[in-house]
Amino acid sequence: MNHQTEVPVPLLAARDLAKSHGRTPALRGASVELREGEILAVTGPSGSGKSTLLHCLAGIVRPDGGSVAYSGERLDRLPEKRLSELRRTEFGVVFQFGQLIPELTALDNVALPLLLTGTPRAEARARAGEWLERFGVRGQEELRPGEMSGGQAQRVSLARALVTGPRVVFADEPTGALDSLAGEQVMSALVHTAREAGTSVLLITHDARVAAYADREVQLLDGAVVPQGVTV
Amino acid sequence: MSGSPQRPPRGSLRSDLRLAWLLTRGSDRREWWRVTLTAVGAGLATGFALAAAALASLSGYHAVPYADGLLDEPGTRDGVVFALLLLLVPVLGFLGQCARIGAVHRDRRLAALRLAGAAPWQVRRIAALESGLACLLGSAVSTVFSVLFLLRLGRVPAVAWLGIALVAVAVPVLGAAVSAVSLRRVVASPLGWVRRVRPETDKGMRALLLASVLLTGVAALLVAVGTRGRFAGLPLVVFALVVLTGMGAVWAAGASARLTGRLLAARTRSAAVLIAAERLRDDPWAAARSHAAALLVAIVGTGFVGVREVLLDALAANGHYSPDGLAFYTTGIDLTAAAILVALAITLGGLAVGAAESLATRRRGLAAQAAAGVPREVLGKALLLETALPLAPAMVIAGIGGMAVSTWYAVLAGGGRSIPLLPLLTPFAIYAACLLTAATSLPLLRRTVRPAELRYV
Amino acid sequence: MSTRHILLGLLAGGPSHGYDLKRRHDERFPQARPLAYGQVYTTLQRLVRDGLAEVEGTDSDGGPERTMYRATDEGGRELAGWAGEIAPPAPFVTNEIFAKVVVSILAGGDPAAYLQAQRTAHMERMRELTAVKTARSSDLATVLSADYALNHLDADLRWMTTTAARLTTLTAEVDAS
Repeated sequence: MNHQTEVPVPLLAARDLAKSHGRTPALRGASVELREGEILAVTGPSGSGKSTLLHCLAGIVRPDGGSVAYSGERLDRLPEKRLSELRRTEFGVVFQFGQLIPELTALDNVALPLLLTGTPRAEARARAGEWLERFGVRGQEELRPGEMSGGQAQRVSLARALVTGPRVVFADEPTGALDSLAGEQVMSALVHTAREAGTSVLLITHDARVAAYADREVQLLDGAVVPQGVTV
Repeated sequence: MSGSPQRPPRGSLRSDLRLAWLLTRGSDRREWWRVTLTAVGAGLATGFALAAAALASLSGYHAVPYADGLLDEPGTRDGVVFALLLLLVPVLGFLGQCARIGAVHRDRRLAALRLAGAAPWQVRRIAALESGLACLLGSAVSTVFSVLFLLRLGRVPAVAWLGIALVAVAVPVLGAAVSAVSLRRVVASPLGWVRRVRPETDKGMRALLLASVLLTGVAALLVAVGTRGRFAGLPLVVFALVVLTGMGAVWAAGASARLTGRLLAARTRSAAVLIAAERLRDDPWAAARSHAAALLVAIVGTGFVGVREVLLDALAANGHYSPDGLAFYTTGIDLTAAAILVALAITLGGLAVGAAESLATRRRGLAAQAAAGVPREVLGKALLLETALPLAPAMVIAGIGGMAVSTWYAVLAGGGRSIPLLPLLTPFAIYAACLLTAATSLPLLRRTVRPAELRYV
Repeated sequence: MSTRHILLGLLAGGPSHGYDLKRRHDERFPQARPLAYGQVYTTLQRLVRDGLAEVEGTDSDGGPERTMYRATDEGGRELAGWAGEIAPPAPFVTNEIFAKVVVSILAGGDPAAYLQAQRTAHMERMRELTAVKTARSSDLATVLSADYALNHLDADLRWMTTTAARLTTLTAEVDAS
């Protein structure tokens, strides 16, 4: 880490986010910054608003109050079409499960984001194959998600999230459904790739061992960030 | 009702009934959709069956003040009964589609009941009560209106009342039985169902549906043969042709879905086509199943349009019918047309229900796709292609079958008449109607891909 | 942790001298507290006294003179017995963090702030260990010993989280007695 004298401008910054699901408040004034190339863990107990925070930051959900700025653009004000495009090209998402299309093979699942941005099929499949190999999913390119183990499927998900060369990867409990060894493999694959490519990662987890892969940790409690650096 | 050797403890029927009611009341909107649509389907089935029963109970000449004397003669009356019974086929298809709404969810819930210690017969009975009650509701509404209508007519033979009572009871009982049988797998292995996501074809359900269709057909045939009139041979041939072409069309739909899926998946450059093609390849029979009724209607419709053209042509050419006599024939033709249109409407209803159900089942995955930046238009296009791709070759077959029927009839009518070409347009019209129906689920897609669905992944 | 048995185990491979034993220990058990040379020397003398090891001879090898040791047959038996014996599962609960929380309550301090600071320190250490573990050069022994520590720190953290959530009740209980 090279320390600069001036404070670096964050790549993604949320200020005073508020969001309710019906009458239940999920976020009440949460502020988070994600710097370029940084891996940030967001931890907190169930129901503390972690997933809602990720949805707001990734432009999946529009906050009720506050702002989300991504490299000079106000995400909370962008039209859905542009948000969808951003999510397709500049962001990658990994959920606990569900982001793979069950009917598509591993290779086609990874190639899908490339097809959506107009890459020819053969090239998309070739690049998808390279990414699968990087994540150690070799010889299983033609399997469908249902035929793979949870750890393999999650590595395919990572490949799909990273194939377009995004600037930010959002991972919501990426190891939540895995045993600890498979979880370690997924996490080290994610961390190594992100560091090599200089990708920022926002990692949601309730597991401290997963959060320890990050450079920094933000704790959420009841929809707000717990102040850090308490002096004893 | 339960044929199992264990005697249920006293009062357990009431507690099962209460549990069935609690489960229905506490469940989400989809359950209510299933109950409502099942009731509507049961109502339609009861209505057609009641009309058929009432008409069949008449013997000899009766002056019925409807349909330009078409119901007066036993021969033509039997034709109407035959048509009414045939209308049960699309209704059964519709009911089959309705049973699939929320099937995954319901089966999971019942599997959970099994895991919580409910005996197999208890789970069966709860499920049977659920759908039996829905069918009873539909059947009761239909019966009440039919009885009111018949009472206005005045004297009704006792045998008609017997038929009505029989039908009113048989529909809910049949509904409950189908429901109990279709749960066989959940009952046999509750654990196996907790993990499964995709609803699979259920053999018991399919066998029962097929049996119902065949029974209806046989009943219709018996009615037709029973008249011993000059029309006796015709319904037999028509029925056989319809069944044969229908089976061919279902097979063609399945086979072509698999083939187009494989070919397109390997070559396409478009994400929407890729998603649709892989879904078809993965489960080609799902499409064939939900489109079977549409295909049957396409065949019958195409054939009918041809027959109608030839018949009207012949009547006009003949020229020595009184206006009353002419009305007798045209009313018959119009009634048949109406019946086919009703069948088409029911079929499209089933198609719409099927499309909505497929969306609802996949809503989490779809929401995740949208969150990952797959544009909604791509998802919508894939959804439409899933209907359009397998239906196209099947419609061609349906068109050929229908054309064969009408050409054959034109030749039979003789007189060097030209072969009608209007029927060629019918499959296209029905194809367009099916696509429009599939498109009705697009607004639902917009609601389905809400981020709220992601919160429970 | 029994240094005698670990040294006996290292001697099982063949005769060795004190400095070599220390080096192999630190290599074999990465992230563990390194052995002091004096400790190796006294432990070896005790092993000889108890008849578990004996002096093999001296070896100068051009440098200063070193005493070579080897395990006796009795040492081998002792080692086998120890290796198969279960480690007593937490016979006494020694929990410094808990002691600090209770003392903090007794002295009218701020146990919540302490727990939060302790949590930050734990997380910092966990990040260090994870970095060591995921470095491309680390071998399996390093990964496994880092994992051991990570899992224990994680257990501490989970305990701290539940304790922090129940501090009010604990304060009432401590103050009442």
